[in-house]
Amino acid sequence: MMNRRTMLAATAATLAALATPGFAETAWPERPVRILVSFPPGGSSDLVARLLSEKLSASLGQQFVVENKPGAAGTVAASALQQAAPDGYTFMLSNLTPFNVAPVRFPDTPYDPIADFDHITYIGTVNLGLFASPKLGLKTLADLDAAAKADPGGLEYGSSGVGSWGHVIAEQFQNVSGAELFHVPYKGSGPMRLDFRSGVVPLIFDAVPQNLPSVEEGTAIPLAVSSTERLASLPDVPTFTEAGLDIVAENWLGVSAPAGVPAEIKAKLDAALTEAMASADVQAQFDSWGLVRAPKSSAEFEAYVTDQLARWTPLVQAAME
Amino acid sequence: MDLLSNLALGLSTAATVTNLTYCFIGVFLGTFIGVLPGVGPLAAVAMLLPVSFYLEPETALVMLAGVYYGAEYGGSIASILLNIPGTPSASVTCIDGYPMAQQGRAGVALFMTAMASFFGALFGVVVMVLLSPKLAEFALLFQPAEYFSVMVLGLIAASIVSASGALRGLMMVCLGILLGTVGVDVNSGETRFTGGIQELRDGVSLVVVAMGLFGVSEVMVSLRGATKSYAGEKVRMRNFLPTPSEWGRSIMPAIRGSAVGSFFGTLPGTGQTVASFVGYALEKRINRRRAEFGKGAIEGVVVPETANNAAAQTAFIPTLTLGIPGSTTMALMLGALMIHGITPGPRLISDHPELFWGLVVSFLFGNLFLLVLNIPLIGIWVRLLRVPHHYLYPTVIVLICVGVYGISNSITDVWATLIFGVIGYVLRLFRFEPAPMLIGFILGPMMEEYFRRAMLLSRGDPMIFVERPGSAFLLGAGLLLLVLTVVPIKKIVQRLKGRLPMGERVARHHK
Repeated sequence: MMNRRTMLAATAATLAALATPGFAETAWPERPVRILVSFPPGGSSDLVARLLSEKLSASLGQQFVVENKPGAAGTVAASALQQAAPDGYTFMLSNLTPFNVAPVRFPDTPYDPIADFDHITYIGTVNLGLFASPKLGLKTLADLDAAAKADPGGLEYGSSGVGSWGHVIAEQFQNVSGAELFHVPYKGSGPMRLDFRSGVVPLIFDAVPQNLPSVEEGTAIPLAVSSTERLASLPDVPTFTEAGLDIVAENWLGVSAPAGVPAEIKAKLDAALTEAMASADVQAQFDSWGLVRAPKSSAEFEAYVTDQLARWTPLVQAAME
Repeated sequence: MDLLSNLALGLSTAATVTNLTYCFIGVFLGTFIGVLPGVGPLAAVAMLLPVSFYLEPETALVMLAGVYYGAEYGGSIASILLNIPGTPSASVTCIDGYPMAQQGRAGVALFMTAMASFFGALFGVVVMVLLSPKLAEFALLFQPAEYFSVMVLGLIAASIVSASGALRGLMMVCLGILLGTVGVDVNSGETRFTGGIQELRDGVSLVVVAMGLFGVSEVMVSLRGATKSYAGEKVRMRNFLPTPSEWGRSIMPAIRGSAVGSFFGTLPGTGQTVASFVGYALEKRINRRRAEFGKGAIEGVVVPETANNAAAQTAFIPTLTLGIPGSTTMALMLGALMIHGITPGPRLISDHPELFWGLVVSFLFGNLFLLVLNIPLIGIWVRLLRVPHHYLYPTVIVLICVGVYGISNSITDVWATLIFGVIGYVLRLFRFEPAPMLIGFILGPMMEEYFRRAMLLSRGDPMIFVERPGSAFLLGAGLLLLVLTVVPIKKIVQRLKGRLPMGERVARHHK
């Protein structure tokens, strides 16, 4: 069914790609490359970075070294990236928080999340879910709405911290649904999940993948997810949008560099990453970590980060009031 | 029956050549990592994590866990020999371990450390085998109010750790608490005392404070020539063996230390350092020879070592039964599982029993390896004392800097450690001890966090702390401890028995 025009366009695009100057010519990388990670070792973002750096080391013939620089909501790593030379030897596994949330929350953040960086390759997203403790006896978002309106401010929800995406989205949830909840902030999601399990906080806004074992066990009831479409891992759970609430939250992951990296290096890295992510074993790992893939070009990714910043800015400001 | 079949399953997993080999590699690396001041299990586990891509999940976990608990064995070695803890949890071991070394009994202290570590770890493993599911439920009963109350108890216990008087101890505890308030406030999200420094938003790291106050400052003290070189100890096995009476006095403290350690290990987020501090403080309260504490009492080495090793084992309970890591190193351990597509969670044990029980059985092998490894090494460690200080101490400083840098690849942390070294040195000049400050630094922020969370949950009603029975019990225990500290019970008892001439007056008062 492919018509001649699309065929021609595709051919032209392929030729154009092949003709891109320097694509195969650049000698980069000639020495080990650092990939900054804004989390301590062990979390899913760190594992993504390690998995991809293994693949890159193999395909590009130089060591890609993961360097964990946790701290200050990821802004320590992003600041370090901003100060690094744009020579193609320092990259960062970028994500939502240091680029779309923290710069709004901390006005003294020393970088501009868009102008100071080149956002090169999009990796995927993790979605947020609203989970209820079975003790509440709720099954749906409508049940929660009724319960919250019967006792305004009586139901507590946990978030992984003030200004975390869970908190921001929970505040937006209250704004658009009219339900009034009581915020109990935690220092990270580990302690929050512990208190959720023991029933201290009956509701949490938390990343979906880490809660799937509890959902299977029946100790967490998923009420809604923040993706645009239903998730393959929770096919029976509606999105917030389906329930008539304008809430979409994606904790995206990508690879970014300080602004000004030569175009041929960016193209070579993007091609190598795209190839790595297309391999079956990487896809299997991503699936097991609950990372939802959707290919984007470098230009699309750059636009996506800018768009996300515009979306999150008013939400973060509202939550921090 | 169930237990036996579980153990059999574990044995069949753990006792393969591959798993035993990796278990040995893990504990071997762990011991040496533990010995090096500043370089901790976190860095070692992080370095080994990529290796686990190529291993079976059981094998990877067995090896990484070995590094983790192996480090607790090694951590005390530098505490005893140099007064510099290898890991923060070995800070307490300095208090009595170092005086023992100064008395020429370093070998005995090291021998006892190895035995105590083995005992504590074994105790923790037995607790884990028998009570794992129940303890996980127990950990869930611990809500913010209980956490707060247990911190109060710990802090009261800790203020008497100090050998240089309760007032000085209390002052240092307060200083530690103040230091702990640096960073983003959990409830409001506002930054406190960061001076606009981005790196301080998450507060000061424990390793930075511990290595600065204990490690760097000790090196500075030694530069001043305050510590003398050792006359030299005879490096022979029988010189390392404790006397029969020392064996005898160590039994009950070892059991108490292990029990305290096992308890704190199961509470996510508290960990080995709190366990060893509280264990030591409680022992100092109830032991008959408390006057010898701080001057090289064998109990002062046994208790913290049993406590931190027991805690290192039971810390796996919440991590594996609930999938909630109690520390960053534990999070790494779970990362090793995630590499293999196993999402840690409450169903881990039922879905992967071979993994859990294999790990538990590997603890037994690992601890045996550690004991066998550590006893012959004592001779070598003691010889370390003969290394001239002008080689030894610069090496220590370099190791501390490398280790601290490695935690989050931050040069700021290295500077902070050196600054804390200077602070620690000045404090020591004025005879203030760093130990109570460290415990205040650890417990203070946790206490604040749990207090405010409990108050949030009760909507501002402080009765939550006495209405919940667990919390009320813990607060009562704290109060009792405080009364015991302030009131001279012994004198009163003696008076009542009429041994003191004042007895009559006491009796008259009672009419």
